[in-house]
Amino acid sequence: MIKRLFSLLLIVLSTNAFAQKSQINIYCWGNYIPKEILRKFEAETGIHVNLSEYDSNSVLYIKLKTVPKSYYDVIFPSSSYVTRMKNEHLIRKLDHSKLPNIKNINNALLQHSVDPMMDYSIPYFWGTTGIIVNDKYHNPKNITSWQALWLPKYKNQLLILDDMQEVFSMAFSVLGYPLNDTDPDHIKQAYELLRKLLPNIKLFRTDAAQEAFIGEDATIGMGWNGDMFRSMRHNPHIKFIFPKNPLTFWIDCTAIPINSPNPEGAYKFVNFLMRPDIAAEIAIREGYSSPNSAAIKLMPKTMRESKTLNPPESVINRMVIQKDLGKARLIYGKYWERLKLGL
Amino acid sequence: MRASQRFKFISLSITWAWFGIFVLAPIVLIGITSILTQNEISIVSTPLTIQSFYDTLTGGYAPIFLYSLLIAATTTLLCLLIGYPFAFIITRASNRFRPLMLMLLMIPFWVSSLIRAYAMVIMLKAQGLINIALIYLGIIYKPLHLLYTDFAVMSGLLYNLLPFMVLPLYANLAKLDHTLIEAAQDLGATRWQTFKGVILPHSIPGIISGVILVFLPAMTLFYIPEFLGGAKTLLIGNLIQHEFLVIGNWPKGAAASVILMLITLLLLIPYWKSQPKPTRAKS
Repeated sequence: MIKRLFSLLLIVLSTNAFAQKSQINIYCWGNYIPKEILRKFEAETGIHVNLSEYDSNSVLYIKLKTVPKSYYDVIFPSSSYVTRMKNEHLIRKLDHSKLPNIKNINNALLQHSVDPMMDYSIPYFWGTTGIIVNDKYHNPKNITSWQALWLPKYKNQLLILDDMQEVFSMAFSVLGYPLNDTDPDHIKQAYELLRKLLPNIKLFRTDAAQEAFIGEDATIGMGWNGDMFRSMRHNPHIKFIFPKNPLTFWIDCTAIPINSPNPEGAYKFVNFLMRPDIAAEIAIREGYSSPNSAAIKLMPKTMRESKTLNPPESVINRMVIQKDLGKARLIYGKYWERLKLGL
Repeated sequence: MRASQRFKFISLSITWAWFGIFVLAPIVLIGITSILTQNEISIVSTPLTIQSFYDTLTGGYAPIFLYSLLIAATTTLLCLLIGYPFAFIITRASNRFRPLMLMLLMIPFWVSSLIRAYAMVIMLKAQGLINIALIYLGIIYKPLHLLYTDFAVMSGLLYNLLPFMVLPLYANLAKLDHTLIEAAQDLGATRWQTFKGVILPHSIPGIISGVILVFLPAMTLFYIPEFLGGAKTLLIGNLIQHEFLVIGNWPKGAAASVILMLITLLLLIPYWKSQPKPTRAKS
């Protein structure tokens, strides 16, 4: 009896050890990587992929922080969190010799990056935040800047991203301050300006913003260009407007946590994501702007020529990358909470 | 005898172990976190302090606590008004239909309440089932704005919590001796007098259990205001979630949890007082 139990235990342990060798754990934004791509990777490499999803950078950060021996192999932090994770030694320095496909990544975009040499992170998608309107309800020509959202006629109609940094950047943009401002006095002014926006806000939402715009539960508000490009496929009345003010943009990256149990598999996966045909398929399915210049050549004309996905030069010139807020995050947090709680 | 004692020992140990690991330990951890200091690098650290309690109590959160209590009280009252006749009708149903009715009440429990909140979105949204039906019937021409309103939050809470009111009331009313009602009627009591003098006093324990089961979760179901209210009308549960996940101030989130638990305990006192003193059965 004991013997039989023991051998059973051995079998369980050995299959477990075997499984660990040939699997990777991906922790990604919800709905941000097509399942077909994961299946393709599995078929080509024999490495099994487990996918978990999160809906904000702070959740990802806290997960890595509270479980230091985390079992994730590839994560997808945004540019602002890459700096923070690098400084706190949560992600590892990348060995470029294991990532030959890195040559496909667009250099022009990287100049603005927080990690221009791709030492710790590799751009996966990028995007910018602008104004969304449904032309059945509002005339897009009348809305050219963030200031328009404060007009009394939009009472209880706006969808505002449930994202502290995005919302404060918008307020700074209106006030004429730097978009990653950390001056406590400026943050307070931004809060006071945003309080005046509260009566116009119908809902705060990030992950289901697409649903709300497609279903016309929200007809005006703020959103990400990639999200809205995808929504336009379902509801052609949705229009994306680049406001005349300075704009934030972000790069969502792939990175490998310092405690990745299977770094070799992680490198293979990150490299796979940069292969032109794969990067193109991901971008076509997800609808975001790809930083992969070789992949862009493989995309259909509708994507290559879309103004929403490819902002014109004049817009790019007034874009500012989202940066880590450092200690000012606490001050932001204090005012963001007061705003959300309506205090 | 020995076997039954061993069984008793094992089953009791499992219960206590479960209770210790999944109920007691997390509460102790939250208690400890609430008196630590927030730290940028390691999330929490020493020194021990009651600063978080001070911050929570003086941070101007009173409106949220009051608003949560108001929402919870309204939900409870509505659940009671709907749930009481609901439970009574089930007890009066014939033996053929009663199991079916109870079953229909239980089926939603098989699905996570989070998914049921999403189902409510599908019902209430601008192009949702209710609006489509009303437009089709020609009652309205433009979709009603149902989603992301206080109404949506309230109906979400009501939908999720109604069974918690009905079930204890049902259990209680089912035990009610019907000869008592007949006696009251024989003695010339009106329907209202029968209800007030016979049925209601007997169902007080059921009402109290139902109220507790509805009132407390109603303050903390943070995803209902988030999904159905557009993350604007916030409850205590949202404040706690916000401190932990958005701002990363764990001691303050823990302190708010502890304060909520203390409020809960205060509300449970009348319940304990209303219960008959347990007496050990003589063997």
